[in-house]
Amino acid sequence: MDAMLEWARGPVFVFSLTFMLLGLLRHVLVTFYEMRRTLGRAGDKVLPYRQILKATAQWLFPAGKIRHEPLFSVTSMIFHVALLVVPLFLGGHILLWQRGLGISWPAIPNALADVLTVVAVVAAVALVVQRAAARASRDLSRASDYLMPLIVALPFATGFLAMHPALNPFPHQAMLFLHVMSGNLVLVLLPITRLSHAVLLPSLQLVAELGWRWPLDAGSKVEKALGKQGEPI
Amino acid sequence: MTSAPGKYSFYVEKDAYEVTDRPRKLLEAFAAVLEHSSYGLALDVFARVTAKCSRCAASCQLYEATGAARDIPCNRSELLLKVYRRYFTQAGVFKARLLGGGFTLTEEYIDRMGENFYRCTACRRCKLTCPMGIDHGLITHLARWLLAEVKLIPKALVVSVREQLQGVGNTSAIPPAALIDTCEFLEEEFRDNYNADVKFPIDKEGAEHVFFPAVSDYLLEPDTLMGNAAVMAVSGGSWTIGTKNYDGINYGLFYSDRMMERIVKNEVAEVRRLKGKKILIGECGHATRSAWFGRTFCGPDAPEVVHCLQYAHRQLKQGKIPLKDEKIEERVTYHDPCNIARTGKITEEPREILKTICRDFVEMHPNRTENYCCGGGGGTVSIDEIREFRTKDMGRRKAEQIRATGAKYLVAPCANCKKQLKEVCEDHGLKEVTVIGLHDLLLKVIDFDAYRRQNQNEAGPVAATTQAAKAEEE
Ligand code: SF4
Repeated sequence: MDAMLEWARGPVFVFSLTFMLLGLLRHVLVTFYEMRRTLGRAGDKVLPYRQILKATAQWLFPAGKIRHEPLFSVTSMIFHVALLVVPLFLGGHILLWQRGLGISWPAIPNALADVLTVVAVVAAVALVVQRAAARASRDLSRASDYLMPLIVALPFATGFLAMHPALNPFPHQAMLFLHVMSGNLVLVLLPITRLSHAVLLPSLQLVAELGWRWPLDAGSKVEKALGKQGEPI
Repeated sequence: MTSAPGKYSFYVEKDAYEVTDRPRKLLEAFAAVLEHSSYGLALDVFARVTAKCSRCAASCQLYEATGAARDIPCNRSELLLKVYRRYFTQAGVFKARLLGGGFTLTEEYIDRMGENFYRCTACRRCKLTCPMGIDHGLITHLARWLLAEVKLIPKALVVSVREQLQGVGNTSAIPPAALIDTCEFLEEEFRDNYNADVKFPIDKEGAEHVFFPAVSDYLLEPDTLMGNAAVMAVSGGSWTIGTKNYDGINYGLFYSDRMMERIVKNEVAEVRRLKGKKILIGECGHATRSAWFGRTFCGPDAPEVVHCLQYAHRQLKQGKIPLKDEKIEERVTYHDPCNIARTGKITEEPREILKTICRDFVEMHPNRTENYCCGGGGGTVSIDEIREFRTKDMGRRKAEQIRATGAKYLVAPCANCKKQLKEVCEDHGLKEVTVIGLHDLLLKVIDFDAYRRQNQNEAGPVAATTQAAKAEEE
C-alpha cells in the first residue's frame, strides 16, 4: 500500500499536475491568440470594453446575480469557494509543497478547512439534488452533469475521512490513496471537460462579444466559398 | 406557391422542399462560415464550457409560458453546439472515427433545428443570466444562417429580402413615385392640421442625416413619420430621404449575414450618393442594430448611425423643440425594443423625453436591459401564420406586464414591436391600450405656433441658418 501511495503521490501526481497546467495553459494561449486574430480581422474593432469588463467582474464575483435563482446560486457559490480555498490553503498540502519544492505560503486553520470540506461535499450533493429536482435543469442535464460535482467532491470526502481516522471505517492508507488518486483525476479532467471554465471564465464575455465582430466582407466571402455569387434570392 | 405549414409551423418556399443532401450542404456552409467569419472562437469556447445550469430557462419568456424542454435556451443552443462538436472539433472527429456511430447530422435533425431556431426571437435576454456568457442570440443567429444555406427559411423573410434586393428596392415594394406622393401628402397634412410648413426633403445632397425608417411606416405609421419630420423641422435639422434607398429594414439580420451585408452596404451607398454624413434611423429596433453593423461591413469610415430618439433627445435637452404647455394626460408606459436596449445603448433617452411630455409615465417591470421581448423579435413578427405562437406563448409575459401598468398608451419605438404588441393586446383582450410610437406623442405636444413665430421673426430660412451654425459647431 505504501508503495502505491508513493506512486500516486509521486509520478501520477506529477503527471496529472503537468497535464493540467499544460492543458489549461493551452486553453489560455489558444483563446488569447484567437481573440487577437478575430479582433484583428474584424471590420468593427471598437469594443464596449467597460461593459465587457463589468459583465466579467459580475460573473467572477457573482453576488449580484443571486436574486435570479437564490438557492441554486448560493449553493453553487459556496461550492466554488470551498473548491478554491481548501486544496490550495490546507496546511497538509502546503507541507507537501514545502517538502517537494521548498515553497510555502500561509495556511488556513485546520478547523476551517474541515468545515469547508464538509461544505464542499454537502454543496456538491445539494447541487445534484437541485439539478434533479427542478424540471428545467432535469430536462437539460446529461449524465455527466450529475456526475461532475460528485467527482469533484470525491477528493474532499476522502480527504476528510483520511484526516479524521476516528470517523473513517476504512483503512487509513487506502483512504489516502483514494484521496490522492481522485485528486489526480480532477486535475486531469480540468482541461478536457467543462471544468476548463476555471481558466476560461474571465474571457467568456469578451469571447461572446467577438462572435459578433465579423471580418469585412465575411458574407461575400462565404458566398464565394459556396459558389453562390449571383444566385437569385 | 408554398406548401401549407405542416412540415414546419411556418410557410417555406417551394424550393425549400427540393433541396437534396441537406446535411452535407449545411456542413459545407458551416465550414465556410467558420473559415470566413468570426463565430469559431465563441462556438469553441461555448461548446467546451456549457454547464447546463438552467439559469437561462427562468429568463426566457417562451420557456416560462410553455415549460417545454425544447424551449430552454441552452437546449436549443445545444442543437448547434452538438453539430459543431461532432464535425468541427478534433475530439469530436476523433471520437466518431474511433467509436463509430454516435451523433450524425440527418435530414430530420435539420428539420428540428429549423423548427426550434424560429422559436427564439434572439432577444438575448437569456445571455444576461448565463454564468458562462453563452450568447444564445448569437447561436440562433448563426444557426438560422446555416439553415438558410439549405433554403430552410420562413417564406415571409425571404420574400421581404427579395423585394428589397431584387425588386422595387424596399421590403414594402413602395415605388419612389409613391414615396414622393406620400411625403407630399404628409406635408399637406401638416399645413391642414397644424398650420405648419414642415418638409420631407427628398434627395437633398449634402444633408447631414439621411433618413431610413422602417419603410412600412410610410404605409402604416404616418404619425410617427410626421413626428420625425416635425422634430427635424423645429430643431432646424438637416436631413433628407433618398429615393434610391429609403428602407431601414434588414431581414438579413434574421437569417443570413450574406443578405444582411448587402442590405447594409446599400444603405451606406445611398448615404454616400447623397454626400450625407450620418444614417438617421427611424423608430425601428432591428434597423438600428443592423445599421450599427455598418463598420463591420464597410470598415471604419462607415457613416455614423443616429437613432431618431437620440436625435430628438439631444434637441429637447438643448431646448430646440418648442413644446405646448399641455402634456399628455393619459397614463403612458414604455416598451424597450430588445435591439436597442439589451446592451444598454438606448434606454434613457426615450424615458427622459416621455417624462418631459407626459404627466403620468409608468415603467414596466423588468425594463431597460432586462426587458422582455415583445414576442415578435428576430423577424418572427412578419410570419403571420405563427401569430398564435407569438402572442400566446411568446407574448404572454409581455401582455401581463402591459396589463399591470394600467397604461392607455404603450409606447414602442419600433415598427416590429408595434405590430406585435398590437396583436398581443388584441389577443389578450387589452382593448383599452393604444400601441403608439414615441414620435407620435411628440407630434401631439410640439408647439407649432412657436415654430411659426420663430420662423417669421427670423424672417428667412431658419432651417438653413441653424444648420450652418450646427455644422460649424461640429
Ligand atoms: S434569446 Fe430570448 S427568446 Fe431566445 S432563448 Fe434567449 S430569452 Fe428566449
